[in-house]
Amino acid sequence: MIRLAVAALLAIVATHAHSEYLYGISGNMAATGHTWGMNIGPSNTRGLRVNGVFYQYTPVKNTEDDMVVHVRNKRVGGGYIFSSTDDWSGLPGGIPITKGFIIDNLPIELWGDGSIDVEGTGSVIDANVIYSYKYNNDCLTPMSDPSCSGYIDAVLSMMGESDVEAYDPLADENIADVIDEKAELDEDVQQEDEEKVKAKDRLQRMLSGVNDSILYANVTSQNLLMFAMSRSNNLNPYYDKKLSGGTYTETVVLSDGELPDNAKGARAGLAQQILHADMVSMQYKPEE
Amino acid sequence: MNKVLIAVALLASATTALAENTPIVGNVQTRCLITTDTNGVFGNPLPSKLSTASADGGVVPVVRYDVTLADAYLAKVTTPTAFSTSPSLSDSVAWTGTTAVSKTSDAAMSGYEAAKVTYGSTTQFDLTKAGSTWFSSTATAVYGVSKSFPGGSYTAIVLAECIAK
Repeated sequence: MIRLAVAALLAIVATHAHSEYLYGISGNMAATGHTWGMNIGPSNTRGLRVNGVFYQYTPVKNTEDDMVVHVRNKRVGGGYIFSSTDDWSGLPGGIPITKGFIIDNLPIELWGDGSIDVEGTGSVIDANVIYSYKYNNDCLTPMSDPSCSGYIDAVLSMMGESDVEAYDPLADENIADVIDEKAELDEDVQQEDEEKVKAKDRLQRMLSGVNDSILYANVTSQNLLMFAMSRSNNLNPYYDKKLSGGTYTETVVLSDGELPDNAKGARAGLAQQILHADMVSMQYKPEE
Repeated sequence: MNKVLIAVALLASATTALAENTPIVGNVQTRCLITTDTNGVFGNPLPSKLSTASADGGVVPVVRYDVTLADAYLAKVTTPTAFSTSPSLSDSVAWTGTTAVSKTSDAAMSGYEAAKVTYGSTTQFDLTKAGSTWFSSTATAVYGVSKSFPGGSYTAIVLAECIAK
């Protein structure tokens, strides 16, 4: 029992999921005449149901004349599915009448042709008949659901229009282009990989050089450190060495107190002076 | 007999002691609903004239009466006799107006127009049938003797009433 209830509930939910209705109204069905067919709503709709009828017209008659106006739709299979009668007998015309009716969502399949029929003396002008309706929107394309009318025809039509041919994917230019592009892409990727490997090697070599430099620097710094340490040991003794104190007096003594002119030296100096003057003035002498 | 009188007196006194005011509450649904179907607009075909007639560039106001109880109400529609808002006017304004049945929801209502009663600027219709009836009113205002209306905004009111018989 519970299973049945759950199944029924699911069925209701499923039904509701597919029961999205759209609403619309027709144009003036009596615009071109007092009879009309019920071609209302979008084409290929499923479950179109009429939920309202509105009409308006102006009777033309003399007050004393009898006139009855029927606005109605035939019912498929006989009788009328909608009928409204206005008895204008003994009443003046000229004043428009307008009426609206709520219809209990009757399927369009039941609705036959509509008409405005006049009995008696008089006529009807400015007639306006409008239907309101609702419909499912899940069969706007017949192939959307196998239950839609026209589904089989649509499928057969599609199959009939398509030509069956053997398909060679390698002969397809688009696929060949894609394959070529992929090959080029792989080649590029391979080149990039090789460049990455080379770069990695260079980086390793560079890093190894850096390591050598660091090692050499360490050795150098250690040598310098050792030199500095030994230097203090070598130099400090000299810093600590002190001269013996006392005064160092002049020991050379000029015996007679006079220094005679050196005539020989004076001549040699003069001769050097003259020679120098001649050498300087030679550059101003004109060439012979 | 005396015993009976005493008993009655006691009962009366007891009843008096238990007396209480009991409210009676009731709601009356409106059976006559008035709705503005179309707002009117004044046209100005002449400097001295304002008119709602479509021929004068105006729009005729339409009011709808929805009656759910037949032969119980009167519809009274009064066309304006003064501006409710307007620039300052220094001269008199001559008003004319008419009200007519413009549309019905029942053929039997077509007799309303012939049976209407007009007095002053008021037109009265006997709503003998249940249903909807549309009444349209025209209003024309002429200022002075061919005197130009001052520039500005003009407003007038059509009064629609539903009177129980």
